[in-house]
Amino acid sequence: MGSLFAQISAVVKMNLLSLPKRVGSSLTTLLAVAIVVTVLLAFMAMGQGFQKTMAGSGSEDVAIMLRGGSAAELNSGLGGDVYTNVSSSPGIAKDENGPIISGELYVVVDGVKKSSQTEANLPLRGIGPAGFSLRKNISLIDGRMFEEGKTEIIVGTSILSQFSGFELGSKMKFGATEWTVVGVFDAGGSVFGSELLTDVRTLQAQFNRGNSYQSIRVRLDGPEAIQKIRDFIESDPRLNLDVMTEQAYYSDQSRDMGRLVYMGWGLAIFMALGALAGALNTMYTSVEAKAVEIATLRAIGFKGISAFFGTLVESLVLAIIGGVLGTLIAFLLFDGISTSTMGGSFTQVVFDFNVSADAFKSGIILAVIIGLVGGFFPAWRASRMPLLKAFSS
Amino acid sequence: MSNELLFDLKNIEKRFVRGRESISIFDGLNITIKKGTFVSIMGPSGSGKTTLLNMLGGVDRPTSGEILFEGQAIQNLGEGELAKWRARHVGFIFQFYNLMPMLNAEKNVELPLLLKNLSKAQRNKSVETALKLVGLSDRARHLPKELSGGQQQRVAIARAIVSDPDLLLCDEPTGDLDRTTATEILETLQLLNKEFGKTIVMVTHDPVAASFANVSLHLDKGQFIEQQSSEAVA
Amino acid sequence: MNNFTLVRKNLTRNKLRLFLNCFAIFIAFLLFGALGAIKNAFDAGVELSADDRLVTVNKINFTQPLPLAYVNKIRTLEGVKDVTWANWFGGYYQEPKNQLMTFAVDPESYFEVYDDVVVDEQELENWKKDRQGILIGERIANARGWKVGDRIPVSSNIFSKHDGSSTWDFNISGIVRPENPQTDTSYTLIHYKYFMETQIWGGDWIGWIPLTTQNPELNEEVSRAVDKMFANSPAETETSTEAQFSKAFVEQMGDIGFIIMSVVMAAFFTILLIVGNSMWQSIKERTSEIAVLKTLGFTAEKVFAMVLAESFLLAALGGILGLGGAWLSIKAITPMTQSILPALVLGHQVFISGLMFIAILGFVTGIVPAWQAMKLNTIEALSRR
Ligand SMILES: Nc1ncnc2c1ncn2[C@@H]1O[C@H](COP(=O)(O)OP(=O)(O)OP(=O)(O)O)[C@@H](O)[C@H]1O
Ligand SMILES: [Mg+2]
Repeated sequence: MGSLFAQISAVVKMNLLSLPKRVGSSLTTLLAVAIVVTVLLAFMAMGQGFQKTMAGSGSEDVAIMLRGGSAAELNSGLGGDVYTNVSSSPGIAKDENGPIISGELYVVVDGVKKSSQTEANLPLRGIGPAGFSLRKNISLIDGRMFEEGKTEIIVGTSILSQFSGFELGSKMKFGATEWTVVGVFDAGGSVFGSELLTDVRTLQAQFNRGNSYQSIRVRLDGPEAIQKIRDFIESDPRLNLDVMTEQAYYSDQSRDMGRLVYMGWGLAIFMALGALAGALNTMYTSVEAKAVEIATLRAIGFKGISAFFGTLVESLVLAIIGGVLGTLIAFLLFDGISTSTMGGSFTQVVFDFNVSADAFKSGIILAVIIGLVGGFFPAWRASRMPLLKAFSS
Repeated sequence: MSNELLFDLKNIEKRFVRGRESISIFDGLNITIKKGTFVSIMGPSGSGKTTLLNMLGGVDRPTSGEILFEGQAIQNLGEGELAKWRARHVGFIFQFYNLMPMLNAEKNVELPLLLKNLSKAQRNKSVETALKLVGLSDRARHLPKELSGGQQQRVAIARAIVSDPDLLLCDEPTGDLDRTTATEILETLQLLNKEFGKTIVMVTHDPVAASFANVSLHLDKGQFIEQQSSEAVA
Repeated sequence: MNNFTLVRKNLTRNKLRLFLNCFAIFIAFLLFGALGAIKNAFDAGVELSADDRLVTVNKINFTQPLPLAYVNKIRTLEGVKDVTWANWFGGYYQEPKNQLMTFAVDPESYFEVYDDVVVDEQELENWKKDRQGILIGERIANARGWKVGDRIPVSSNIFSKHDGSSTWDFNISGIVRPENPQTDTSYTLIHYKYFMETQIWGGDWIGWIPLTTQNPELNEEVSRAVDKMFANSPAETETSTEAQFSKAFVEQMGDIGFIIMSVVMAAFFTILLIVGNSMWQSIKERTSEIAVLKTLGFTAEKVFAMVLAESFLLAALGGILGLGGAWLSIKAITPMTQSILPALVLGHQVFISGLMFIAILGFVTGIVPAWQAMKLNTIEALSRR
């Protein structure tokens, strides 16, 4: 008898060649694994797509300030005096117009979701003169910028793709005043693209917000800047503000949706247990069907371990093909799908499903685990197949 | 042994068509079997013994010709009627026993009784009687895999007789057994024939087995070529 | 022994296979039950909404306020039965993550509109008398173990008091109990007046106006009349049925129903494959036995029925265990999901549709093997040894 390796590869080959003989049950395992992987990847694509949108939104050199303890813009409120006071803080970058700072405020308005034809919350955000350029990867792609003091809006491309009624030139009424969409901007897939922007003073006036803001954005002038601002706020008893980089703020906001990835894993693990039952069934049947062959090989001197590996590899091959199939299905079905959900600001965030390389890897790992466990126990039985089986018909 | 006919087979033809080929097994076979006879059928492999037995038992049909059972033609009965007919009149005994592996001896024997409207007590009584007759009362609770070949065959016989059919069809019932065990089985069959008046048709390759029968037929190329007793054949 | 014994013995002959199949089905129905309950919890607002109840909100968005004066104007409209109003308080208990859905409402009219919940008469009286009184929903009372007479601090993440703090102290006056157990009672109610007087941003502004119509058929007419009355004013309104309003709100999260149904279907399909294949396999292994049954006189129909019964039995075994498991797990997690998904219960609709799915699974997995068994050629099967 040849080397152990030769034995194993002979048995592996024999097993793989016999696969087509059990097309039904082999396909079952394969498809079951594929479906489980697809479900996992769907959730990962959703969670990671959302996180990608949030992560793409924050800039390292922009700080956002909220009322102390408010955690999200939704709950924050700042008087006009706070804005004035904070603008003299060190650490804020300056240009020819003085410190680069934008006091901001948003109101929630209704938009009609194209997919469901139901109304959904959208942020109509007022920004200061520096507000637009403070945002990363943002550019006007159609029409023009809103003018200060006029009820004019520019709209993000994400909104255009998911909500109806905001096309360039369209008019809408909020309260007693009419607003006009005068421009369209692209924000590179970030959360900014899910907003309607206008002049903050106009918004304050039209919605009776006096001189109040919810957040203040500033450009930082260096890596130490954020600490300088914090120290400045600390030293002024009138100021009670939380300061964080925009990046930190948005990654914090994406945490809830990140749970989707865990949920996907939870569901996938449950379903994987079901698929595992299928794999075990298939492999036990396969071992049973080959009992005579296996026992005969053992009888002529093959080692039990070759039968073990033969079965294990068979199971792994089925599971891995299933896993690859599942990732392909997920990719074709979900990658790039646009949808929206309620974000941390109580308004819609448009994002794209994103089947990442990382998700691919997870899918294959899950498949391999199903294949390994589903193959191990039947393989164990194969390796201990009583030799007598060879002589019974 | 009465003089009434149990079976009257008239001009039986049987052809198997596979693709364009057509194999003729019987081409105008005539045979009668009287009630209460123990018929053995011998013959070379492929001569059509099993096919004949299957037709007698109503699991197969002739291509043409008539099978009269107690004067009634059975070859044209519907599947459902045939099934009922089998349940009433026929007990099968196979070479490989064909017991249900998950049922114990007692339950295997009880199986045909499920097709009759009997109370549990009546069923138990019949099962007990049948098992006693084949001498296996003490093994009633054993699963087939816990029994020897001979014992399994005796369970199969008990199963065949439990519903008190007129006819037992046995296809090489001792083919898988050693001489001593085979003799026990054949003695049981003989007993069933003599004491209980069962008509038995048994296919066998074993001349010793055939000698237990009171009529021995030899089948070759679709015809009975040798008749050791004229009693069975009209 | 009877036919059922035979079916049972067939099912249990291969214990390992039975276990694996049962387990797979168990998992599928565990997911079915749990996800079904979650889906129902999302839909509960829509399904349990009273059909004669409307909600009037600011047309810009429901987070925008309306003038209090609107309430009396709406009362005068034809077809309107009762009107009340509510304000969002944005409450939490001790820490912002312990959300406590709190509405500032009008004690006199609130329960006229929300007549699907009840408060003990004495408790209601006490609440009306105590400006600092708070009514808590039964779900909250159970989840937090609060009792009538307790004094609790409730903070707002939106409003502040004159003294700068944003925490109010309330006395629990009573418990709001639902008539239908699925009706959401995971909220608390405080006095609108007390809230208005103590918080800093004054003005007679309210959040939204719930109202009932005299007859559900008048819904459309009334909502049109309301919106018309305030058209071209600074605060235009949008009036819809409670069901429409809840539905739009749930839709904001995304198409949760679709996602859940997709997962359930995927799981179900997987199990269908696995169990179907296994049933097919086990009938194939049993061909000679089935042939023997037929020679014994079992009719083809009987054999068909027995195989189908086996697959039904298998589906029922795993499925009912799965639904039971789902019921237990939902029961186990409700205390934790109280604040996110208050209406999470495994209702009998889920059970009934679960049983239906069990029947479907049993049928689909059994029909092909049963058919094969019925059509089985006895002669060939017996000679195939
Ligand atoms: N379903 C079938 N299709 C085609 N030919 C068949 C079929 N069944 C039987 N035959 C043929 O009919 C002939 C008789 O078969 P049968 O099984 O009756 O033989 P037998 O006498 O019982 O043989 P043995 O002693 O080997 O059991 C054989 O030549 C066989 O090949
Ligand atoms: Mg034969």
